[in-house]
Amino acid sequence: MQFLSRLFSLGRNLFTRARVEQDLDAELRAYLDQVTDENRKTGMGLAEARREAQVELGGIEQVKEHVRQVRTGQVLEELLLDIRYGVRTLRKNLAFTVVAVLTLALGIGANTAMFSVAYGILLRPLPYPAADRVAVVYMNYFPREFKFGTMCIRDYLMWKENNRAFENPSLFRSLRMDIGGNEGVPEQVQGASVTAGFFSTLQVAPLIGRAFGVGEDRPAAASLAVLSESIWRRRFAASSAVLGQTILVNGAPSTVIGVMPDVFRYPRRETEVWTNLPLNPPTRFGPWFYRGVARLKPGVTMEQAQIELNSIGLRLMQENNYYKRLTLPVLNLRDALLGTTLKPAILVLAGAVGLVLLIAVVNVANLILARATVREREMALRLSLGAGRGRLIRQLLTESVLLAVMGGAAGLALAWGGIELIRAWNPGNLPLIDSVRLDGSALGFMILVSMLTGILFGLAPALQGSRADLNSTIKEGGRGASVGQARGRARAALVVSEIALSLTLLVGAGLLLRSFVNLQRVTGGFSAPPRQILTILISPGSKKYNDEHAGLAFYDEVLRRARSVPGVELAAVTDSLPPDRQGDADTFAIDGQTLPSGEMNPIISAPTVGPDYFRGLGIPLVKGRYFTEHDRSDSAAVAIVSEGFVRRFFPGQEAVGKRIKQSGPGYGDKWMEIVGVVGNVKYLGLTIDTDPAYYMPFAQSYGPRIYLVVRSSGDTTNQGAALRREIQSIDPGVTLAQIGTMEQALNLSVSQPRFDTMLLVLFAGIAMLLAAVGIYGLIAYSVAQRTHEIGLRMALGAAQGDVMQMVVRQAVSLAAIGIVIGLGGAFALTRLLKALLFGVGVTDALTFAAAPLGIVLVVLLATFVPAIRATRISPVVALRYE
Amino acid sequence: MSKATTNLLQGTLDLLILKALVLTALHGLAISHRVEQITNGTFRVKPGSLFPALHRMEEAGWLSSSWGDSENNRRAKFYRLTATGRRQLQTETRQWETIALAIASALQAS
Repeated sequence: MQFLSRLFSLGRNLFTRARVEQDLDAELRAYLDQVTDENRKTGMGLAEARREAQVELGGIEQVKEHVRQVRTGQVLEELLLDIRYGVRTLRKNLAFTVVAVLTLALGIGANTAMFSVAYGILLRPLPYPAADRVAVVYMNYFPREFKFGTMCIRDYLMWKENNRAFENPSLFRSLRMDIGGNEGVPEQVQGASVTAGFFSTLQVAPLIGRAFGVGEDRPAAASLAVLSESIWRRRFAASSAVLGQTILVNGAPSTVIGVMPDVFRYPRRETEVWTNLPLNPPTRFGPWFYRGVARLKPGVTMEQAQIELNSIGLRLMQENNYYKRLTLPVLNLRDALLGTTLKPAILVLAGAVGLVLLIAVVNVANLILARATVREREMALRLSLGAGRGRLIRQLLTESVLLAVMGGAAGLALAWGGIELIRAWNPGNLPLIDSVRLDGSALGFMILVSMLTGILFGLAPALQGSRADLNSTIKEGGRGASVGQARGRARAALVVSEIALSLTLLVGAGLLLRSFVNLQRVTGGFSAPPRQILTILISPGSKKYNDEHAGLAFYDEVLRRARSVPGVELAAVTDSLPPDRQGDADTFAIDGQTLPSGEMNPIISAPTVGPDYFRGLGIPLVKGRYFTEHDRSDSAAVAIVSEGFVRRFFPGQEAVGKRIKQSGPGYGDKWMEIVGVVGNVKYLGLTIDTDPAYYMPFAQSYGPRIYLVVRSSGDTTNQGAALRREIQSIDPGVTLAQIGTMEQALNLSVSQPRFDTMLLVLFAGIAMLLAAVGIYGLIAYSVAQRTHEIGLRMALGAAQGDVMQMVVRQAVSLAAIGIVIGLGGAFALTRLLKALLFGVGVTDALTFAAAPLGIVLVVLLATFVPAIRATRISPVVALRYE
Repeated sequence: MSKATTNLLQGTLDLLILKALVLTALHGLAISHRVEQITNGTFRVKPGSLFPALHRMEEAGWLSSSWGDSENNRRAKFYRLTATGRRQLQTETRQWETIALAIASALQAS
């Protein structure tokens, strides 16, 4: 019964609020009238009777407020009221609201996006169970000197024989594969050749069929293939009939035994076919194509495994005196996937964006504090009208939460858009980009932080308002109160910290920008316009082209047809391309050179190129001649070396006419005469020195898979298709891949640094903008507050210039403190950038000088408007002001 | 006890209002007078306590209200006891008697 009555009251209070209020008002007025009547009976006049009645009632509004407090649904109703009131307040202060919401949205959005990326790449569990127990094993040795280099089958067998730390050491290599068969036109895909333990190490179950089993890497094992889900859908219409079907892999028949689910993307994101690698007993060391992957045995740590591998490395060196300073470094699977520069880059960016959030939060705190002063009178008024302090606090909390929710919603949209953009664009081919998605906990955390800020600073007016002397606050608007001064200092401190934080970010961004400019200046060693160079990776598919004569004839025809395509000026073949597609690398011997026993020359780039390669790319001839059509397989063996090669191996000598030969294990005794010297070219990325190199003519060092390089007179957009038609009309089994311009290749090679730089510059920009808003707000407010004082000064004869100077001095002194602190922060933090910088030091003087200047400029800009406003103050008006 | 400073305990106020309304429906001012009368002038309920109490008790279902004409022909809001209100009065009376007895015996104990 009572419950029903309450429910009814709740409905009435909530839905017919106006009537309930009217009713209450009428009731109290009737009471007032009645008391007045009674008073008049005692002989009072009407006015006196009425006043006495009002005294008796004690304020109609207060009584109403007390009645409202006991109403059912009061909390709910007050909340609705608070929200309605909050929305109205925020709408009335539109500028404040927009700035605060945008600030929060930027902070929350940028952070959520960045932390989602960081989490996806650095922390989200890999699709491989207990992936932190999976190790990738590399080999590093002189003369090759790749920190995370490859091993050969012989090294692997030695490792496997002596292994105790790992479950089942397996071996793999990545390679391009031509896939053909009855199911469709031949195509070139990324593939991997793996031993039997590969799939069991990674522990992902096949979608259908099975993966390689024990023994299927034995010599003369049947050729088998496992497909990725993507190629299975594309070429086999996701039919389970694919199992047992025979496909052609590089021209050789293989039986499909299984399909891996889409999450399985190892060793590369784009790997689509895995074939079994038969471990034929090696007759020699090399070729070094392979990496190891293995799962740690239970209880064994990565460090213990590394110690064991170190001793195996020693044995390898004893076994073969070709190896010097050999180590077998291990990385856990995630680090192996990430590479060396991505992790520091992401950590730096996450740190930077954290600073942006800090600045955003400081800015909102600043805005709210500024408004607190204005609202002090409102709060005092409401207190005196009978509002409880708890009620005021609840009201302010509601407003803060409203702000945070709006900022959070806008931030969510921003984060979502940002993540979609990053995923679609995939800057720098970020590994593990597939596991990046909007992270709910990151978003929640950001909103929580901004809400707490709002609450912390938003409560100030309620707490102070309820403490302050109501009368004086209402009358004087709190002007000159010590509370106001303390708050002013707090705001100044907040602005100083904003300036310091944004300076730190600006220095970081400046360093990355300088580094990126340096990187852009590196040409790669060729002068042809990158836009006019088109490259295509050609694979003839059929095994008959493994024969040198058939292959050379085929490529002669390819080149002849390519030159016939309209707009093509020059066409050539090569197995290596700048800036980062190194084909082969090998050591060599020099005729007449005597090396200490067991020593050898380092392994350097050894590209195989056809005539017109140098001319086509614009690689300068320093001496001698380029390769020509006359350097055939049956003519004298020749080579061309780079300037770097001459400087290092023939210092002060004439290189042309000298003889060198490939001297790696398994090479014969074919001396090549050096016929020319060309400029240095980068083959391992723009930041890596590959200056020493020796080139061999394609006709004397044939391989069936090669790049076609075309230099065109202008637009290359339609030439790709025309070239494809021409080449496939020679032999429809030929596959073409990686069709693109040199410009695209250059862009891709610097895409990760560009990504890092762009983001950090963006973050620094946002930080500066927020700091500018902060200082603008502070100075504008201070000018508004000092209107009276400024007017007085002007009335006493101060010139406009003096007033301006006074305002600017205030801003600049704040900036100066911020800059000092910020520079300290920058000195401490920029060393984290070290791994990301190219050609610029972490304490680059130019950056450290320019960034504070930039800050000062922004501060002056932000101060300009309020300063001008100060000079326009009319003394007459100002002295009347309030 | 001085009239001006008496702050009624909430339970007491409820009890007195319920008691004041036993015989007939009354408006706010009349309730105030009635309470004063039946307590021999000891308690005088101020509007700041009276109206919140009336509204609270109405929402609890103890009272019902309706507009009517007062003795000198002014419109006023009249409150009357509901059946629930009467039961509540009995309950509260019993409780009060228990408490009063207990307090009295406590004060008489030597």
